[in-house]
Amino acid sequence: MTADRTAATAAPPTKTTTAPAPPRRKRNWAPAVFLLPFFIPFVLFTLVPVGYAFYQSLLKTERTGGTFGRKTTVFAGLDQYKEVLGDSEFLAGVGRVLLFGLVQIPVMLLLALVLALLLDSTVARLKRFFRIAYFVPYGIPGVIAALMWAFLYDPRLSPVVELLDEVGSAPDFLGSSMMLWSIGNIVTWTYTGYNMLIIYAALQAVPGDIYEAARMDGASEAKIAWRIKIPILRPALMLTGVFSIIGTLQLFTEPQVLRSISTSVTSTYTPNLAAYSLASSDNYSEAAAMSVTLALATFVLSFAFLKFTGRKDGS
Amino acid sequence: MSLRTQRPALRRALVALAALPLLATAACGSSDSKDSASGGQGTCEKSDGKVELTYWSWIPGVEKAVAEWNRQNPDIQVSVKSTPNGNAGTYQNMSNALKAGNAPDLGQIEYDSLASFRLQEGLTDIAACAGVKDAEDDFVKWTWSQVTFGSGGEDGVWAVPQDTGPMALFYRKDLFEKHGISVPKTWEEYYRAAKKLKEADPKAYMTHFSQTDPNWFSGLLWQKGATMFGQDGDAWKVDVDSPAAGEVADYWQKMIDEKLVATDLQGFSPALYKAWNDGEIATWVSAAWGYSTIRDNAKATSGTWGVAPMPQWSAGENKAGNWGGSTTAVLGRSKHPYEAAKFALWLNTDPKALEILNREGGLYPAAVKGLDLEALQQPVDFYGGQKIFDVFADASKNVTTDWTFGPTMTDTYRFMGDGIAGALGGKGTLKDALAQTDTKTVDSLEKQSLEVAK
Repeated sequence: MTADRTAATAAPPTKTTTAPAPPRRKRNWAPAVFLLPFFIPFVLFTLVPVGYAFYQSLLKTERTGGTFGRKTTVFAGLDQYKEVLGDSEFLAGVGRVLLFGLVQIPVMLLLALVLALLLDSTVARLKRFFRIAYFVPYGIPGVIAALMWAFLYDPRLSPVVELLDEVGSAPDFLGSSMMLWSIGNIVTWTYTGYNMLIIYAALQAVPGDIYEAARMDGASEAKIAWRIKIPILRPALMLTGVFSIIGTLQLFTEPQVLRSISTSVTSTYTPNLAAYSLASSDNYSEAAAMSVTLALATFVLSFAFLKFTGRKDGS
Repeated sequence: MSLRTQRPALRRALVALAALPLLATAACGSSDSKDSASGGQGTCEKSDGKVELTYWSWIPGVEKAVAEWNRQNPDIQVSVKSTPNGNAGTYQNMSNALKAGNAPDLGQIEYDSLASFRLQEGLTDIAACAGVKDAEDDFVKWTWSQVTFGSGGEDGVWAVPQDTGPMALFYRKDLFEKHGISVPKTWEEYYRAAKKLKEADPKAYMTHFSQTDPNWFSGLLWQKGATMFGQDGDAWKVDVDSPAAGEVADYWQKMIDEKLVATDLQGFSPALYKAWNDGEIATWVSAAWGYSTIRDNAKATSGTWGVAPMPQWSAGENKAGNWGGSTTAVLGRSKHPYEAAKFALWLNTDPKALEILNREGGLYPAAVKGLDLEALQQPVDFYGGQKIFDVFADASKNVTTDWTFGPTMTDTYRFMGDGIAGALGGKGTLKDALAQTDTKTVDSLEKQSLEVAK
């Protein structure tokens, strides 16, 4: 339920599925044993809760007698899903995060890619320092980052807004029209470094002789980046892309924290906020149905993205 | 890419993975049927031997009162756990604990959440417990009607009143004097005062209109007598969008439209406190407990605030709303309701306990005798030596008794908050917010399979 972007990205299931089973070898249990430390928590804390949520989503509450009545829980099939899909505010929330993703993910990944390429280029100085500096925001807990930004956005408390007002006029960062992009800025600030590191790590794995050969053939650094590095980075970019899609659909921390300082975030601002609000008002079944719907949407989008980007591979 | 090249071994593994949750659900499913302790006029027997009770509360310093009780009652030992505010997570934890069967014996629950907890079968009817029914006259009238859901005890007693939040007007004496504004006695005068203030100082606002405090707005409706809910036989009446409520909404919409109130200040936010300190905000219609909110967060304004009765809808009236306040409830599965009820009564009526709760936690007591506490007769330095609690004592007596909270109040507040966000952002009006809240609340009651009278 508590879908934090860090949690979503912490356990990439794709990692386990890439271990190929070599043919012509006796059954070897060693890999299975090594998988256990991942697998047991994965079952306990991911699969079982998802299963339980699915079970809950098939129920509904019934009552008999009186203004309060006695409560029974009965099987309701897909009734809750009908409610969820007919909930215009939930759908508006989904639309909002999709719009958010369409703008924020490309911006963030482009930034991450450029930073990684810069760090990897031969002209870069102080590589270690910058590598850590870019990554630091990711190390700051999401709630604290959001709080800090909230203060920077608030017209009465922020030195930044004051400065902007001095030179012209500051936008209303916490107003309803800017809110989504203010959140986008926080998310970009937090996750660019993280994505950069994944891309940078992928670059490190490329053998240096490829570049050497390219240089011998007279390719400039820019050309090497464009013609060699970026194509090689495709899997890493796809990975960061999928993580970002998952994280976007599960946006929760930033809007929830900003609610304490802005009057323009509603309780259904993002799908996850909507599910959280429902659960807080003792409607666990519909909240569960909402969560499952969201998980399905995430799967569909992630796989669609993989398929779409994979096709252009030409292989 | 790599995913597409995976072959049968993986697929088998995936199928196995997919099956696991189903096993899990089968295991979880069996534990769901439960019998609850709520409903009906049961008995309330004394337990044998030594009893240990658990209690969740967020009153600062409550453990000192509990220690006093434990000293006096060696056979009924209470251990208190200090929790965050109800809506800051404690209610959620209580609900979950009730579901899981490990809830505490006693919990702090605000008046507006009592019905929700009763609906979840989270409360024990303590009407049959010794001393409970006789305690009716010990409490301010409207609080008893809240804990008995307006039935006068016929339908059970579901909690013991603890504190209240009778409302009054906090105002900046210095700003009023500077701009020649007199203390408004009616809402009409309040509006004119707001206009006068704006003309004198374009950067100042009469007050702030918070988005996350729908319970503040319902306190204003309460004063107007615009109850949001009612009961009609076995059905609930939803009356959020009543004509009386509409008047209140129109009034504040006018204040918003004419930019007389700040719409970008969230309640209890650092930005609000800064605005208070800067003298940007001239008044706050708030509850008795609000005196410490201002005192602790607007230190720079010491001596400049005064307290007056809430403005009235008709001149000469004397009505007050209520914002907040809580009860001590015996939760649904307590094995020792007799002892728990005894403790709850002591905590909220014993002069010593009341004194501790007021001194440590700033509680404004629901007990009639509590209003006579020594501490509540004293002038308060921060308010320029005014005896502000005299105002609240009057307000407490003038809170209308026929106010009913709904059983899905969390939802109702949420809808209202969302509607208010729209009104503050210029998309829709407060009246729209009421209409939306009304429709959606009916929907949410029906989702809980409650009957709604049309």
